[in-house]
Amino acid sequence: MSALQPLARLIAALLREDDRRCLLGEDVQSGGMLGLSRAALEHADLSPRLLGSPLTGVAHVAHAGGLALAGLRPIVLLSSATALLEALAAVRELGRWRWRSGQSESRGLPVLFVAPNGPGFGLGGEAAESVEATLAAVPGLELWCAGRTEELCAFLRSAATFEDDAGPRVLLLPRSVIVRDLNVDVDLDAALARAPIAVLREGEHATVFAWGEALTPALVAAQACAAASDEVSATVVDVGQLAPFDDAMEAVLVEHASKTGKIVIAHAGPRRGGLGAELAAMFADRCILRLDAPILRVCGERSTLVAGHEEPSASPSATAIAAAINQVVGY
Amino acid sequence: MQTTAWEPEGVEALLDSKGTLADPAAVSGLDLRSYYKKLIAARVLDIKLGRLELPMWASAAGEEAVSVALGELLAAEDTVFVGNRDPAIGLIRGMPVAELLRQLLAQPSAQTRGRGLPGSIHSDSLRIFGASEGLGVNLGLAVGHAHGQALFGRGRATAVVFGEGLTTTGSFHESVALAQAHDAPLVFVCKSQIWPEGAPPEAGLLGDNVADRARAAGLWSRRCDGADALGVRRSIGAALHRAHTGAGPSLVEVVVTPLLRDPPAERDPVERLRRLLDSRGEWSQPFQDVTEAEIHGQIDKAIAEVSQ
Repeated sequence: MSALQPLARLIAALLREDDRRCLLGEDVQSGGMLGLSRAALEHADLSPRLLGSPLTGVAHVAHAGGLALAGLRPIVLLSSATALLEALAAVRELGRWRWRSGQSESRGLPVLFVAPNGPGFGLGGEAAESVEATLAAVPGLELWCAGRTEELCAFLRSAATFEDDAGPRVLLLPRSVIVRDLNVDVDLDAALARAPIAVLREGEHATVFAWGEALTPALVAAQACAAASDEVSATVVDVGQLAPFDDAMEAVLVEHASKTGKIVIAHAGPRRGGLGAELAAMFADRCILRLDAPILRVCGERSTLVAGHEEPSASPSATAIAAAINQVVGY
Repeated sequence: MQTTAWEPEGVEALLDSKGTLADPAAVSGLDLRSYYKKLIAARVLDIKLGRLELPMWASAAGEEAVSVALGELLAAEDTVFVGNRDPAIGLIRGMPVAELLRQLLAQPSAQTRGRGLPGSIHSDSLRIFGASEGLGVNLGLAVGHAHGQALFGRGRATAVVFGEGLTTTGSFHESVALAQAHDAPLVFVCKSQIWPEGAPPEAGLLGDNVADRARAAGLWSRRCDGADALGVRRSIGAALHRAHTGAGPSLVEVVVTPLLRDPPAERDPVERLRRLLDSRGEWSQPFQDVTEAEIHGQIDKAIAEVSQ
């Protein structure tokens, strides 16, 4: 079983728990993107808040922002993260609306966009680009990215919970993580028991920063390295929030980079222009004297467009990440 | 009087260019002198603001009928999304002139902290929401806002003001589709500037008549003449009534004539209403002078206040 059914049940639960929440999407009244509104459809009382909308490029994002202005907390199910690129004009607007009207910086529009991202469905196309790098550059937008199948529901519950009208927020769900088998029971009432940026595995000799698609390969690589040698144990940090980085988040990232001084950054998509470059630059700025090896980035192997059958090469393998760990440790 | 090329086609006239009131019953109960004073206030505000050398300033002289109708007819609980030529809506809706000036001057002491877009105003308490940076994004925001109000069953209306230039964008058509899909209590108010020879040929590719296009999309729509302040009031009032009673979205196209283009006098909404008042013996030069002096004084005082 994939995580889709628990995610659908969670969405129904989220709607039941807070009547300010509503679900937007082209076909949410007939099952929604990946069937995510199916469980909600079974409850007739939720149907007024399943807002099926015509397919529009920009206005659906603005529409969600307007609903938030009226006091709702929309959850928008997108068919792809690239829908946000098509709607960039409205995404930018939502990020700055409260600010421009003179309100405090911490107040935003509590809209959650849920979007499958990257390789995994064999579609190619989007796998060749780094959608998150574009979105992370939008002021006022919070960008989260889930990385492990067993945590998808917890990420969704936490992302759908807005404190002090934070937002807008994007939750990226890597496609390969969505379709992977879910082998554990998930507690739908459980929020993420940690911050989106957190250490998932402790090690002494290197630090791997990874997110989304690359997170599980990073954990596998760290485990394999440790199994092969006592001298190669790696910390793995999930960078589950990609923007904005506040001072506390930067401090966590810098602390874990400084501890080992040997850094590997792993993410799907192209290396050039990816967010790994931003992290590497931050480490260079903040702790270069603590670094004992060049910062290695392990990304998709392709720098060109990606056909569906080429998707496996669009994200880093555990083997490539393990090689990078060994390289920095042995530097 | 001969009809000139300046007269828009397909409009429902209430106060025509000859100064004839087609349906006196339509303005029964309306204090025409008071309404006229508000048009004067909007005009004087525009003239005064034009002298302040504001960044990217665009005059709205000739468009007062829209600002006054919205400022007058929107209920306190209704909301209006404005563009960059609508500060008079703030004036009529009761925004203190000094605050209005601070916002337009982008002063840090303004409620908007100097962050608003040029020509735009914003007030949470008056439910005036400022212009958007992205082309036509305000239209989608307004649809969502109206839709949200309806979901809460609040019986309130939302209006959004924009220029005819936006009506070739995807955002415009998308927003019309969304408003229809959700039966949003929204009034689209389009200010069309199509003075003779004025618009570039590419602007009219989809037809000069925005109301017709909206009607083809299934939207209740009206086209009226911006020089006919009473007709504009009637059309916007009807559209707001639809929103308040849950009848769904509407579009009112107002053909406005920028006074900067030096049109004939009867294309000026202020002058046209003045002629009506004069014909009814309700206008005099002293009345005009006092009205203008009052608003001049009010704005001058505010300018002095924010210049300190």
